[in-house]
Amino acid sequence: MKLTADDLQDLSSGAVFLATGGGGDPYVSFLATRKVLEEHGPVDLISVDELDDDAYIVAIGGVGAPTVSLELLPSVDDASIALAEFERHVGRKVDAVVSFEIGGGNSLVPIMAAASRGIPVVNGDGMGRALPEAQMMTFPIAGVAPTPAIGIDYAGNVVTFSTDSTGTYERHVRAMAQAMGGMITTAEHPMTGKQLKSSVVPDTISFSIEIGRILREYRGSAHRIFDPLSAAFANSLYGDLFHIYTGKVVDYSSSIIGGYDIGEASIESFDNGEPPLRLNIKNEFLVARIGDQVVASVPDLITVLDYETSTPINAERLRYGQRVTVFGVGCPDYYRTDRALDVVAPRCFGFDFEFVPVEDLQEHHQSLAGT
Amino acid sequence: MLRIGIDVGGTHTDAVLLDGDAVIASTKALTSADVTTGILDALETILTEHRGIEDTVEAVMLGTTQFTNAVIERRELAEVAAVRIGIPSGTGIPPKIGWPDDVARSLGDNVYMIRGGYLYDGWALAELDDAEMDAVVGDLKAKKVDAVAISSAFSPMNPEPEQILAKRIRAAMPNTRITESHKIGRLGILERENAALLNASLLGFADRVVSSFVDAIRQRGLTCRFFVSQNDGTLMDAEFARQFPALTFASGPTNSLRGACKLTGLDDAIVVDIGGTTSDIGILQDGFPRESSIVIEVGGVRTNFRMPDILALGLGGGSLVTEGGDKVGPRSVGHALVEEGLVFGGDTLTATDIVVATGNVTIGDSSRVADLDRDLVSSAVRQMTGMLNAGIEKMKPSSDPLPVVLVGGGAVLVTEKLDAASEMLTPEHAGVANAIGAAIAQIGGETERMVSYDKTPRKQAIEEVTREATSIALAAGADSSTIRMADIEETSISYMAGNTTRLRVKVVGDIGSIGGTTAGEDVA
Repeated sequence: MKLTADDLQDLSSGAVFLATGGGGDPYVSFLATRKVLEEHGPVDLISVDELDDDAYIVAIGGVGAPTVSLELLPSVDDASIALAEFERHVGRKVDAVVSFEIGGGNSLVPIMAAASRGIPVVNGDGMGRALPEAQMMTFPIAGVAPTPAIGIDYAGNVVTFSTDSTGTYERHVRAMAQAMGGMITTAEHPMTGKQLKSSVVPDTISFSIEIGRILREYRGSAHRIFDPLSAAFANSLYGDLFHIYTGKVVDYSSSIIGGYDIGEASIESFDNGEPPLRLNIKNEFLVARIGDQVVASVPDLITVLDYETSTPINAERLRYGQRVTVFGVGCPDYYRTDRALDVVAPRCFGFDFEFVPVEDLQEHHQSLAGT
Repeated sequence: MLRIGIDVGGTHTDAVLLDGDAVIASTKALTSADVTTGILDALETILTEHRGIEDTVEAVMLGTTQFTNAVIERRELAEVAAVRIGIPSGTGIPPKIGWPDDVARSLGDNVYMIRGGYLYDGWALAELDDAEMDAVVGDLKAKKVDAVAISSAFSPMNPEPEQILAKRIRAAMPNTRITESHKIGRLGILERENAALLNASLLGFADRVVSSFVDAIRQRGLTCRFFVSQNDGTLMDAEFARQFPALTFASGPTNSLRGACKLTGLDDAIVVDIGGTTSDIGILQDGFPRESSIVIEVGGVRTNFRMPDILALGLGGGSLVTEGGDKVGPRSVGHALVEEGLVFGGDTLTATDIVVATGNVTIGDSSRVADLDRDLVSSAVRQMTGMLNAGIEKMKPSSDPLPVVLVGGGAVLVTEKLDAASEMLTPEHAGVANAIGAAIAQIGGETERMVSYDKTPRKQAIEEVTREATSIALAAGADSSTIRMADIEETSISYMAGNTTRLRVKVVGDIGSIGGTTAGEDVA
């Protein structure tokens, strides 16, 4: 399948839905990618099965605080420079690139690298959503080493990383991102085709385009879009879609701490019939609570949409007074395995409770609400 | 208390005279090419029956779509040089990227990207380069550019690079009109830069328009204070409006929604404002327009102003009826309706002619549409009702029916009951709802402080700043019982110690009695 400039609009809006509030607003990446594709032509989007077992693949994307990218604009050649610097560092050519995060602008960064070099991009990614830390990716969970890896900043300054532990790599890359303007482009977690096949969340680029198409075609109130979205998720490797809450943002605060956007939002129901919903944010929406009760949590997806148009909203674009609907989606099964929950369960983010799937929480909440 | 509300639209200039809450005179005049004559005509009509009250009028409030229309219609836009300070970031993503070609062209080809700006933590992104700035200033001078928009990375946190460059340009070319992005927008460099560019492009036009307004009012012997309404439904003074015309974008829909609220007493309703070319559908919630929460485009350009959520349909009194009544709009004869419409003696079939043909409305010479094919008429009516129903369906907040308020000059077009409506209202003075909305526009009070949440807990800090904003609004004449929070904005300044945040709070309230400080001052 060829990815063309015409696919990018749907891909980016679908990617914001899957980003669960994180990943940054892909608008600027969208403009940059469109420019690159118009110059270099369409890119081959290849399915995981099409890769040779001994192919050499690297993950490319941006690392940092999404709020930074509101002001510190990327350059159109950041991705191709990162790829070139990576190849120079390892002394060999890369056969294909992959996104490490489908959520937000990182769905587009590998496409720019692939287009400028004439190599394919893999249909899939290392998260199936957006998540704030490197060790939370499927690649390291499956045992892929993070390095050799490189990062470049807004000025083209290059740093290299060499550690076998993705936990350590995360500390290093975060420190460098903070010191290099808050947002850097990395090429990391190099792997073989065989490794990729056992660790990637497959088909997420084409799925994101499908979600984007639904958001465009059914643009309108959140209850109108629920059924078509629900059908799309039922047909995917994700779990079911749930309506969690509808109301108005009555409080939102966020600041850049330790290289992340850390914050909280409160949403009050229109008729005040229900206690407010609180959202915890660390780049992404991590936990949704009504009163003391958790109603959805990471690694399941929590997405906030504009109530009237169903446009998904990035956490850093939340504002006082917005009318929103909150949806929850079961994450891909991969993230519910013990091995994955070791690094993505709520406890890994400092919350003192065990992960309970959104479908069970919803059933519990509905039965409480009904009595 | 007497006040006058004026709405200068593309086609009509409306005016109302309010005594407290009561509309005691209203008129609809044609907008003149020089604007002034149209305003004078409108003022003449409403003051004729009330001779000698000029001295007792306390304020004139003016709403205008002139600046929005200038962008949408790509006219009156002056050439503006865009200078962005932020290289080496953003290479290949120049100012005006993603703009419709025709608007981008209207502003000319002068785009500069130079080194400088700041990072999120206060470290210099790059140092401003004297030679580079000199080269830009020299080029602007050689090209005789007279308007400039300056943007710089993280300028809401540190505006210094924009200020330094603006100073240099002014030193070399004292008459240059400059908009610095940090004065007109918040975080989000592309949207802020776009707002600054559109604003700078309108500065010359704003000067002329505001001068015409002031001239008209003074010529008519009104010596009271004069305000212009902004997109958030608050007022700014004339001098402020000259510098920030872009802040009037979308004030038209805001005024018509607020006017509809005033006329009906309804706090929750669907408002359909029907003009000559479009029908604007908006939602009243608790007496105020529902705001759009997504990035708003003005004439296809992304901005980050707070604006009412409006759906514009291509259906108005002048809409062309074609294909045997199966198609209505989006093309329209616009203000030429009174010459080209059938009932006015012209030979173009318009939406107005269809409604006259149904016999429900009398406008112009109804005998000229007496022979229209009945099927064509009923098909066109079906089309129009269908368009409005579909639009309302998209906009309404829930599946429950709501009252529908019809306002604007084209309100008479709707003769059928709309599905989504629990009831339909066309209040008296519906045709001048915009001018009424302008007359009742609110007084804002805004305060911005750097606060350390480590020293002052966030909740307490917000309360303190809100109190301060409230006292500014009260001093400017807001009625204390109507004060409400309009906006809270926090920008964390992470490079400063103690969890420092720039906290901005805006409160608004109805006008109690005019007096004290000028409402616009606290906004600047």
